[in-house]
Amino acid sequence: MISMKNVSKVYIADKPPALSDIDVDIAQGEFTFLVGHSGSGKSTLIKLLLREILPTTGEIIVAGQDVVHMRNWKIPFLRRNIGCVFQDFKLLPNKTSYENVAFALEVIGKSKHVIRTQVPEVLKLVGLDDKAESYPDELSGGEQQRVSIARAFVNRPPLLLADEPTGNLDPATSLGIMSLLNRINKTGTTVVIATHDREMVDSMRKRVIALENGKVIRDQSRGVYGYGD
Amino acid sequence: MAISPGYFIGEAWSSFRRNWVMSLVAVTIIYISLLLVGTFFLTGAIVNRIATSFEQKVSISIFMKDGAAPADVQALQGDMQKDPRVDSVSYVSKTQALERFKERTKNSPQLVEQLRGNPLPASFEVKLKDPRQVAAVVKTIKADPALAKVIKNAEEDVHWGQTIVENLFAATGIVRLFVLVFVILLLVVSLVLIGNTIRLAIYSRRKEIGIMRLVGASNGFIRTPFLFEGVFQSVVGALLASGTLLAAQAFLVPWLQRNLRFLPVSISGTTLAQLTGLLLLSAVVIGLAGSGAAVRRYLKV
Repeated sequence: MISMKNVSKVYIADKPPALSDIDVDIAQGEFTFLVGHSGSGKSTLIKLLLREILPTTGEIIVAGQDVVHMRNWKIPFLRRNIGCVFQDFKLLPNKTSYENVAFALEVIGKSKHVIRTQVPEVLKLVGLDDKAESYPDELSGGEQQRVSIARAFVNRPPLLLADEPTGNLDPATSLGIMSLLNRINKTGTTVVIATHDREMVDSMRKRVIALENGKVIRDQSRGVYGYGD
Repeated sequence: MAISPGYFIGEAWSSFRRNWVMSLVAVTIIYISLLLVGTFFLTGAIVNRIATSFEQKVSISIFMKDGAAPADVQALQGDMQKDPRVDSVSYVSKTQALERFKERTKNSPQLVEQLRGNPLPASFEVKLKDPRQVAAVVKTIKADPALAKVIKNAEEDVHWGQTIVENLFAATGIVRLFVLVFVILLLVVSLVLIGNTIRLAIYSRRKEIGIMRLVGASNGFIRTPFLFEGVFQSVVGALLASGTLLAAQAFLVPWLQRNLRFLPVSISGTTLAQLTGLLLLSAVVIGLAGSGAAVRRYLKV
């Protein structure tokens, strides 16, 4: 699903690179945590996968597409294969939950009929079928994150990227979000989560890739957050 | 991609409703700007018409000597009427000239009583299609051999008020230029102002554009509702401005006509149609250009 070979990213020439010589392979259907301190390169890695930025060197394949040599006009089509969840939810404030989710389908030209059946379905999956007509500012943080997960997942992308999805949420709510992401993973979707939520990582016992200063320092298949740090 | 234009129109409308404060600001600024442009356009049209009416008063008078042979007079008239620059040639006989004199001096009839016989000459009054060509036409007439047979002296008997005419044309030319420059300046200022307003409205929604990109919306898909919205706002502003101007002129022009009888104040239907066209056309151009340029900035990958 994801293949990164010798990937480096240098933002400013004289400064140490944000990522250096990353080799990562993530198979289809895997559930992977990407852990590390702030500035370790997690977000840079996510941005590379989304083709928001280009690597300085190296090759990246995401969902079968060569991200590095991709034409600009093809980027939207890459992103349709990647569901995205962010710490700040990134919901459209002037659309209801339903419309926020429906938007992801409208964008790829799905018919009204498809929208009318899939949106309620996915809202039910995330447990928000009763909040469909609420605007984001009428929802709690956990509920907003559920809407953003519903939006990311509604067109059933093969890959779901989450950048600090529980960063703004209390532990109990975070647990709910994680189990939701786990359930989505069970449907066959590859899930990659960048986080520094130690408890969460430790309790899930999933693959953990640890980054430090732009390098992979650990890659364990049933890992924990880290030792002592 | 099978997305109907209905989707974009719906999107534009619902975003107009949801962002109605920003939309209202944009529409208001477009309205006021175009109202200013339109006001000066109409003022310019009125000034132009007044200038034209002054210019059309320019005519050439040729005073003939008594006892000129009718054949020669007719020959001269025929020559002048053949000139394509000449609009009309009217003959004023001695008797008609006396009548006009009596009419003009009816407050002091003793003037006429003192006249012995009829000292007034017969004359031609020549009107031109384009009054600006008066000097050239006078030159042609003076070169006509038929002229010498019916007048005493070419310098004295061919009148066209040279100095006044030249000053008049200089004045109307300056007024026209001034009005034109002012309308163009105002139009440019409005374009910049309106473009900026639309950009501001879009800037306030750059987060939305970022999210659209993230969920895989193609650039065209993102841009189109904004373009629809920009054009929609501009057209609403333009229609309001046109409506206000049409209503205002329907009220003001008759008032001016009553109160400034000495000036020929009027606005033709063509001018009003041109005005509406100008405002609507600039609205569409501004709407497209303003929103296009603004969205473009946030679409950079």
